[in-house]
Amino acid sequence: MNLVWKLLRQHISIGQLGGFFMANLFGMLIVLIGFQFYQDVIPLFTQNDGFIRQDFIIISKKVNTTGLLGGGSVRVFTPEEMDELRSQPFCKEVGAFTGSLYKVAAGMGIEDVASFTTEMFFESVPDRYIDVETDKWRYAPGDRLIPIILPRSYLTLYNFGFAQSRSLPQLSEGVIGLINMNIYIRGNGRQDLYEGRVVGFSNRLNTILVPESFMKWSNGQYAPALPAVPARLIVEVDNPADDRIARFMQERGYETEDNKLDAGRMTYFLKVISGIVMTVGLTICLLSFYILMLSIFLLVQKNTKKLQNLLLIGYSPLQVSLPYQLLTVGMNLLVLLLSFGMLCIVRSWYMATLTALFPKIGDNGTGLSFCIGLLLFAAVSIVNMYAVHRKVINIWRNKL
Amino acid sequence: MLPAVFVSRTDVEGDIWKQDVTFERGGLYLIEAASGTGKSSLCSYILGHRSDYEGTLLFDGRDTRTLKTAEWVKLRRHSISLLFQELRLFPELTAYENVAIKNNLTKHKSREQILHWFDELGIADKMGVKAGRMSYGQQQRVALMRALVQPFDFLFADEPVSHLDDENSRIMGRILMEEARAQGAGVIVTSIGRHIDLAYDKIYRL
Repeated sequence: MNLVWKLLRQHISIGQLGGFFMANLFGMLIVLIGFQFYQDVIPLFTQNDGFIRQDFIIISKKVNTTGLLGGGSVRVFTPEEMDELRSQPFCKEVGAFTGSLYKVAAGMGIEDVASFTTEMFFESVPDRYIDVETDKWRYAPGDRLIPIILPRSYLTLYNFGFAQSRSLPQLSEGVIGLINMNIYIRGNGRQDLYEGRVVGFSNRLNTILVPESFMKWSNGQYAPALPAVPARLIVEVDNPADDRIARFMQERGYETEDNKLDAGRMTYFLKVISGIVMTVGLTICLLSFYILMLSIFLLVQKNTKKLQNLLLIGYSPLQVSLPYQLLTVGMNLLVLLLSFGMLCIVRSWYMATLTALFPKIGDNGTGLSFCIGLLLFAAVSIVNMYAVHRKVINIWRNKL
Repeated sequence: MLPAVFVSRTDVEGDIWKQDVTFERGGLYLIEAASGTGKSSLCSYILGHRSDYEGTLLFDGRDTRTLKTAEWVKLRRHSISLLFQELRLFPELTAYENVAIKNNLTKHKSREQILHWFDELGIADKMGVKAGRMSYGQQQRVALMRALVQPFDFLFADEPVSHLDDENSRIMGRILMEEARAQGAGVIVTSIGRHIDLAYDKIYRL
């Protein structure tokens, strides 16, 4: 084999192969980094209770001046409107916010002597939309204890607005979970005292939440005559960046909360940008692959006579192709390993920043990127090997 | 059989083209030919390098057109050896390497045997010289050795001594026949004038 290699390495152009090597390395690196970055950042947008949860939109009807003048009736969603929404192609599921139809007051006090109370309200949504992980989110009819979820923004408002200006202690989520509130419910000619406990804070749902089971039961108990009509809906969609959603909401005069659609658009842009980066990387890979093929073809062309003579003295096409195949596969492998090493370095650098910014970020690892790299390597190598083999077979068949 | 380019010609005669010819193991044949009568084409057909001929070429009763790549490779390694007229040496390799590249494939001869041939053929001092820097006569001797480092049933020597003096062609003929006899192989020598002086069983005119 050594003598054959000594022969066939004649005319190998270091410049061409070096050019291929660098180009392929950069292409591969760009593809891998694009993919890996996407993998690392996308959980921020899609994780439960993550930075931005992408596929839930909360909608309500626009509150306008005529509504106010018209007697202040709450603008609610009719069952037909909900069905229409459900039938939209972008919509996966629609959940309704159910409001309390009775009077609620919350108070904190010692030994049942209310020190201060406040009028308030409850809302509920189907449990699957709750973005708080807790095992306390349960209610059985008749229980005295009502679990409550507050919007995280309330806590922020208290801690950094109210508490600071009044020199009150700032409260952590944990401390609030320890405080019991007295909940007074009035309606249907009755008044009862319950105990309320905050079990979590939600980023997604901007309301005071109680379990749906409690809401159904209590509405039946304290306001049996009134129908529960939703004023807000939570819509689960496939892709919030879908422009049909924005158009539909616009046409119907519905409002979306919390810039959810913007968040969706960010995800979409991230996808687009990652896509562009990976396409650029792939294009560079393809071009470098083209350089390699040209270079190998040129080499085979220049060494045609040697190849032919080797075949004529009894070397098989396989044996004669092997040196060039090993050369290309070896280079591809080196590119794969190098680019993977460089990916790890680059990743450790940006992950340090990401983890500092978002401590909750999960680490998916680099396995999938490695698979993509391996796949690229395999595809390129197989085509390389086949092309070299074809060339040699053509020489064997005397078709020069 | 007849080369495809000759098909339209009417003046093709001789003992090979358009005739049934059989070469047998152990035989010693001479094909005398004028230039342009298709001698090298014949060699190419026999080695499976070209197949632009009409008629059939049988090896051991098997039509060689039906041979697969792997079978040709086997044939070239174990059954048919060809001493090319154009030598087909590798100018980048030394004289010894040119022989070794074939012997590595067949493992047919020991290094000592090859060195002994170099000695006998009078080019022992050229072993480490690149083939491209040797005279044509010297290269012919290297090509002969390369043709001999494999088992064969037939050896085709295409104008083997065109650039050799009488003494060297005599030595060459002796080594060639020693090898052929040891293997019981048939030898077919072609020539357009000078040829090795041997006791040919049959002489064909192309």
